[in-house]
Amino acid sequence: MAASQHAFDLKAQPGFSIIARLAIVALYLPILILVVFAFNATSSLGVWGGFSFDWFVKAWHNDLIINAALFSLFLATVAGVLATVMATMAAIAMTRTDAYRGQLVSYALINQPLIVPEIVTAISLLIVFAAVKSATGYSGTGYLVLAHTAFCIPFAYLPIRARLEGMDLTLETAAADLYADPWKAFLHVTLPRLAPGIVAGFMLAFVISLDDVVITDLVKSGGQETLPTYMLGQIRRDMTPEVNAAATMLLVPSILLVTAVHLINRKK
Amino acid sequence: MLALSQPIQPQTADRRLAVQAIGLHKSYGTGASAFLALDDVSIDIAENEFFTLLGPSGCGKTTLLRLIAGFNFPTNGQILLRGKDIAALPPFRRPINTVFQNYALFPHMSVAENIGFGLKMLGWTKSRSVDRVAAMLKLVRMETLADRRTSEISGGQQQRVALARALAPQPEVLLLDEPLSALDYKLRKEMQVELKRLQTETGITFIFVTHDQEEALAMSDRIAVMNRGRVLQVGRPREIYNAPVDRFVADFIGESNILSGRLVGQAAADAHQVRIAGAVATAYGKAGTSGDGTVQVLIRPEHVDVLDSPSSDCIPAVVEDEVFVGTDTRLQLRLNDGSTFTARLTNSPEQEKIRTSGTQVWLRIHSHSARLLGGDHVQHR
Ligand SMILES: Nc1ncnc2c1ncn2[C@@H]1O[C@H](COP(=O)(O)OP(=O)(O)OP(=O)(O)O)[C@@H](O)[C@H]1O
Ligand SMILES: [Mg+2]
Repeated sequence: MAASQHAFDLKAQPGFSIIARLAIVALYLPILILVVFAFNATSSLGVWGGFSFDWFVKAWHNDLIINAALFSLFLATVAGVLATVMATMAAIAMTRTDAYRGQLVSYALINQPLIVPEIVTAISLLIVFAAVKSATGYSGTGYLVLAHTAFCIPFAYLPIRARLEGMDLTLETAAADLYADPWKAFLHVTLPRLAPGIVAGFMLAFVISLDDVVITDLVKSGGQETLPTYMLGQIRRDMTPEVNAAATMLLVPSILLVTAVHLINRKK
Repeated sequence: MLALSQPIQPQTADRRLAVQAIGLHKSYGTGASAFLALDDVSIDIAENEFFTLLGPSGCGKTTLLRLIAGFNFPTNGQILLRGKDIAALPPFRRPINTVFQNYALFPHMSVAENIGFGLKMLGWTKSRSVDRVAAMLKLVRMETLADRRTSEISGGQQQRVALARALAPQPEVLLLDEPLSALDYKLRKEMQVELKRLQTETGITFIFVTHDQEEALAMSDRIAVMNRGRVLQVGRPREIYNAPVDRFVADFIGESNILSGRLVGQAAADAHQVRIAGAVATAYGKAGTSGDGTVQVLIRPEHVDVLDSPSSDCIPAVVEDEVFVGTDTRLQLRLNDGSTFTARLTNSPEQEKIRTSGTQVWLRIHSHSARLLGGDHVQHR
């Protein structure tokens, strides 16, 4: 593998640079257009009418948008924290024990949300939650929190596990040698060393929760609106650059967090 | 039940025992792929002793240390600490500390925090722990670097921090797994002296692992020579060097010439007349013949005189090569039975003699220096 990587340099293949450029354009041009039209002075989404901040001001004063944004942040924080805690426990259980039966299955189960199509997860959750709803009468935010936590776990899990696997096991042995029981060894040695992985895991989970549409839209009860589902609703009606402005504001925390994750992982 | 394979041990009865291993077995894996890393290991280590485990790579030294520290558990056998079985104690309840081969310093803590870690875990008060850490820093001469990160100090300094960290809680036993192997030659020599000083000053029992026989001879009160999971011999450095029990020990410790000879008579209770390459010499030790009367005789390179004219009971030899190595000259010789022999002569300016290849010489073995070896059956199983 390693040897063939040296022999085969993808960057030297004919057409590489063209394909790479096209891919980048295809990925980022629509986003760029969306951001540009957030600054449009007219209400058109396709014709440039001059530069203005009006739509941002308008979005900022739209209580529906602000409430949806606050709810998104709340949901992303709670689900992010829960997912990170569970992912941390799962990662420790799976890297700090002797090999056990079903280890591979656990790994597959944790990563299941990455593999199963989102719409399938969404519909299954819808069915289960509908049953629970009619049985209990409860229709609060609990369903969304549960759903978001579930699909955020693999994203939180991956950086934490990577960090754990790169950690020297003898440090924990040394802690045990110096009278630290397993809990203290975790608290004083494993956790501080794992912290960058946990922070990265939380940030990814947070962003994933913040961006989700499909599952949220199917699971939410009436009156529960996240920023993405609100925007989806707006597009179906009369769309103005106000949505672009809201989307641009949503982009900012996502970009910041992903950049932060990258920097943290690079620093190690 | 397994007493037959027990190595001979010198008396330790006058001192209290710190650690006792009794019939330890350790196998890794199960079924057909099981590997026996320790095979019936029994040793007694006295309090305040500098005890060394010496043996080639893979012979089970680390495995034995890990069993004593409690990181692994024996498949069979017992470990006693001051007479008490410690099988049920997890590592964090054993008053035993380890200096790891790669030091295993906590990278997110300063030098002082590293040294104080064990004390913190033991629940020492802040002020008491601060005093102790200061004393430890002084002991290993690291006072000025207390606040450095462990990634910001040199290898030798890391080694001393690891030592101070392990010594700080005043363990009953300190385990050191090849602590000097990562250091360069000069630093290693310095640290050997330092370690020995620390052991004497603290009075803690040291169990030291190395595969460097010179290091073992220089530092230890006693040495256990191991091979393939077994303890072959336990003894003081001189005993092991002068009277190795078998060919493996003789070969592993120091330089050796091992010649085959034939028993021709008995000189005393533990002395035999042996014919070697055309001469008869007196060899000491038990005669472990291999049935046809041949025996293995060990002669150290420095235990012969090289004569230029024949003399009674001298072994004739022909010079093949001469190497000047500073204090000594090393002569590569061939005996008339075809075997090779290395002789080491101490140099002095007034009597330097150059012997060219092909020169005929005669070897006179120093009295009491030819040893009979126990035969090959001891090590090959
Ligand atoms: N966890 C393990 N699983 C299987 N085999 C092991 C394990 N640990 C050690 N061994 C085997 O047990 C034997 C003894 O290993 P050990 O680490 O005790 O050797 P050592 O004497 O410390 O060697 P070195 O000088 O190279 O450190 C080796 O053959 C090794 O391959
Ligand atoms: Mg080892």
